[in-house]
Amino acid sequence: MLDSYVQAELAALLPPSALLTAPEDTRPYECDGLTLFRERPAAVALPETEAQVAGILRVCHAARVPVVARGAGTSLSGGALPDRNGLVLSMAKFRRILAIDALARTAVVQPGVRNLAISEAAAAHGLYYAPDPSSQIACSIGGNVAENAGGVHCLKYGLTVHNVRRVRALLVNGDAVEFGGASLDSAGYDLLALVNGSEGLLAVITEITVKLLPKPQHAQVALAAFDDVEKAGAAVGAIIGAGIIPAGLEMMDQPATRAVEEFVHAGYPLDAAAVLLVESDGTIEEVGDEMAEIRRLLTESGATSIRVSRDERERLLLWSGRKAAFPAVGRISPDYYCIDGTIPRKALPLVLRRTAEWSKEFGLACANVFHAGDGNLHPLILFDANREGEIERTIAFGDRILGLCIEVGGTVTGEHGVGVEKLSAMCAQFAPDELERFHGVKAAFDPSGLLNPGKAVPTLARCAEFGRMHVHHGELRHPDLPRF
Amino acid sequence: MNAPISARRPAPEALAAVMGELSARFGERAVVNASIREQHGHGEGLADAALPDVVVFAHTNEEVAAVVSACAAARVPVIAFGVGTSLEGHVAAIHGGVCVDLSQMNRVLDVNAEDLDCRVQAGVTREQLNAELKGTGLFFPIDPGANATLGGMAATRASGTNAVRYGTMRENVLGLTVVTADGRIVRTGGRARKSSAGYDLTRLYVGSEGTLGIITEVGLRLFGVPEAISAAVAQFPDLRSAVSTVIVAMQMGIPVARIELLDAVQMDACMRYSKLEGYEAKPTLFFEFHGTGAGVAEQAGLMQQVAAEHGGGAFRWATAQEERTKLWKARHDAYYAALALQPGCFGFSTDACVPISRLADCVLETREDIDATGLTCPIVGHVGDGNFHVLVLFDPDDPAERAKAEALAHRVSMRAIAMGGTCTGEHGVGIHKLDALVAEHGEAVDLMRTIKRALDPLDIMNPGKTVPLQKAEAR
Repeated sequence: MLDSYVQAELAALLPPSALLTAPEDTRPYECDGLTLFRERPAAVALPETEAQVAGILRVCHAARVPVVARGAGTSLSGGALPDRNGLVLSMAKFRRILAIDALARTAVVQPGVRNLAISEAAAAHGLYYAPDPSSQIACSIGGNVAENAGGVHCLKYGLTVHNVRRVRALLVNGDAVEFGGASLDSAGYDLLALVNGSEGLLAVITEITVKLLPKPQHAQVALAAFDDVEKAGAAVGAIIGAGIIPAGLEMMDQPATRAVEEFVHAGYPLDAAAVLLVESDGTIEEVGDEMAEIRRLLTESGATSIRVSRDERERLLLWSGRKAAFPAVGRISPDYYCIDGTIPRKALPLVLRRTAEWSKEFGLACANVFHAGDGNLHPLILFDANREGEIERTIAFGDRILGLCIEVGGTVTGEHGVGVEKLSAMCAQFAPDELERFHGVKAAFDPSGLLNPGKAVPTLARCAEFGRMHVHHGELRHPDLPRF
Repeated sequence: MNAPISARRPAPEALAAVMGELSARFGERAVVNASIREQHGHGEGLADAALPDVVVFAHTNEEVAAVVSACAAARVPVIAFGVGTSLEGHVAAIHGGVCVDLSQMNRVLDVNAEDLDCRVQAGVTREQLNAELKGTGLFFPIDPGANATLGGMAATRASGTNAVRYGTMRENVLGLTVVTADGRIVRTGGRARKSSAGYDLTRLYVGSEGTLGIITEVGLRLFGVPEAISAAVAQFPDLRSAVSTVIVAMQMGIPVARIELLDAVQMDACMRYSKLEGYEAKPTLFFEFHGTGAGVAEQAGLMQQVAAEHGGGAFRWATAQEERTKLWKARHDAYYAALALQPGCFGFSTDACVPISRLADCVLETREDIDATGLTCPIVGHVGDGNFHVLVLFDPDDPAERAKAEALAHRVSMRAIAMGGTCTGEHGVGIHKLDALVAEHGEAVDLMRTIKRALDPLDIMNPGKTVPLQKAEAR
């Protein structure tokens, strides 16, 4: 419940339909794409102008009310999980594409614009916005910036941070500030990079200038089948090691291909232990040359069959399986839990082998789909929340995979963000020195700690607690911190 | 643009304490010799030298940490130094203190061909890295004019002639080892290609110019040496047609690896200095194409068409390695070539970068502005990404000419900012662009200031650079 003074002040800023406080109205906001965690907020505000957002922030800042900004609610890490005493600040009404500069190849958009809508609007100029998370038909660009979202094409074209030129945002006290600029570089500290992936902890984004790319003249995708998962992993290394950076390089194992094939009938070979999708884009000559080389490398790596798309329809068909992997797995299992570890590519065969072993050990099926080119794994652990003990086993299995990712030099999240989900894993990945620096950055932007509290960066106390529970290889982590 | 020579010098007793500790630990590697200090008191830009009190040649992360700890305990400034090629006064010890020379930390620590990455100590230069990569089929593309250290390039967020294809240091640094202001050794980032865990400290330290910590190791992305490379030169009747060629090529998305503009004055300078034969002193574009054999031929064909439509002369090809090397050596030496136009002169290089849609306006207005001043100022630039440099030459003994030159450089920065661009595409802020930073970023400078205070509360890391700590420091 909001304090009635605060509620009155917010009500004065917004039309009645834009301030929700009744439980039946706020319930739809109780979780995002990570449904394991739920919390009802005290209120939900749906502003439509930057002045309203600034006013809301000023009111909340003065009254010490936590604020959780929310885009389309597709986060997979609980980034938009509400605070029970706080306000959810929905940016859903900021849906306008403000300008497209075809010559400078940039678009100025509001944060609630859907990722795909940018490419649709830019298509008239032969341009598109490159990062393409699987949720691109629904997810908003503001959320993409907050989570530094990736996608199947980020291997060649970079993450959100590489494709955003400028961000306009409001600080916790409602003051407006701009990061970056319209040109390639910008003077001083790279605050733009800090805001990318900051998960709503530093500022509320109100306007974004994104970089647009010319649509490649031509693109082809090869679907290669392997009788062994490790061979497929080695093929990924062979392609990258040859200096080829494909537009997309994705892998799926047998449980994933089977689920997908039943769902979308993309023509994936059901007998293969793993399939790779390798895309090449560019001019017709370049694609021809590169595809020939890719085909040669796949054959050398032991591919049992290779199918190259002959036209755009077939290319989209082959991709449809990968893009539909999550919903397809959702059809065959009551629940699934998606992991987002990222590892140096070289460690791929090892991590795959271990995951398969642990899948047996925990008695839980695991379908692997991932952005193999940049080493970003998405193991989907299949479970049934209604079966006694399965949630716990699922989480233990997931933690073990993430632990291995850190051990081989990787990270616990490649593109989904930390949110509430991976707070403990952060303690394993980062030393107290680094966490302190994170807290320093947070304090520089939001000393009150009101923006999206309890997410993304664990407190040192939490890590000490986590360390107490997880004695790793006989070593107590962070032994210098007090235990509770 | 004079270095603000500060009254704030370290207290003699503080300095004595640090000196004692450093000479005990480093012996002959802690140097107070005047000529060494002089050499470390400036970069290649304006000769506004400010000497450090001592220069320490560090060999390990731990040694750098020991220097910073000693400086933190005594509140003495500490300034990182690579090979001194910065252009904005980054290394001038304007508040005195200790200079940490990292040039002897020059080992390539590991190269992972299969992951296309490597890790190097901060003192490895870009040319050294590429020499060591020979035979692996890999290369590191970022190439500022000088043979700078990779630590220095990370610290200033440097760029080069092929940023249009490969990006700048911002895109190509995967992780860092940093000695923080309290003397701790912290690793940021990792070898994973992407991470959304925690704030992006790597990119915060990249471009922080030694004001938040000292970069001692750098993890870098590498690229496969392209199967085919060819370079070409085209000359144009006037500046506008050359710039328009670039803009149209970028708009068409021709994936050219390098596209460099030299105006008539710069071309003249390069022809003399680098003995380029068979060219005229006219606005010129240098191109380089990377890819497969067919891909390169196709890109070059398209480029030739665009150039011809804008009145460009026939392409002169440089496909053999030696010819290409000569061409790009001439480009990299453009700064020295320009200085040679007026023996005895000084020069500073502006670093405007604008959105490509404003490039023609910005370059042409700047050329008119230069011509009106009567100064000799060549224009050269990596125009594919909207970045160009005016080399402003002046007689150091003529105060009126120097004032005129500084005013011109200031106008170049401000013009770029007014067009939605930046005062520095790649050289950094240093001491010369503090005022421009404020003009460019307004409110955000307050946040930069707060971050500086959070990560360097004693203000000992390269003080007086990059971010004006007091609002008054920015003019």
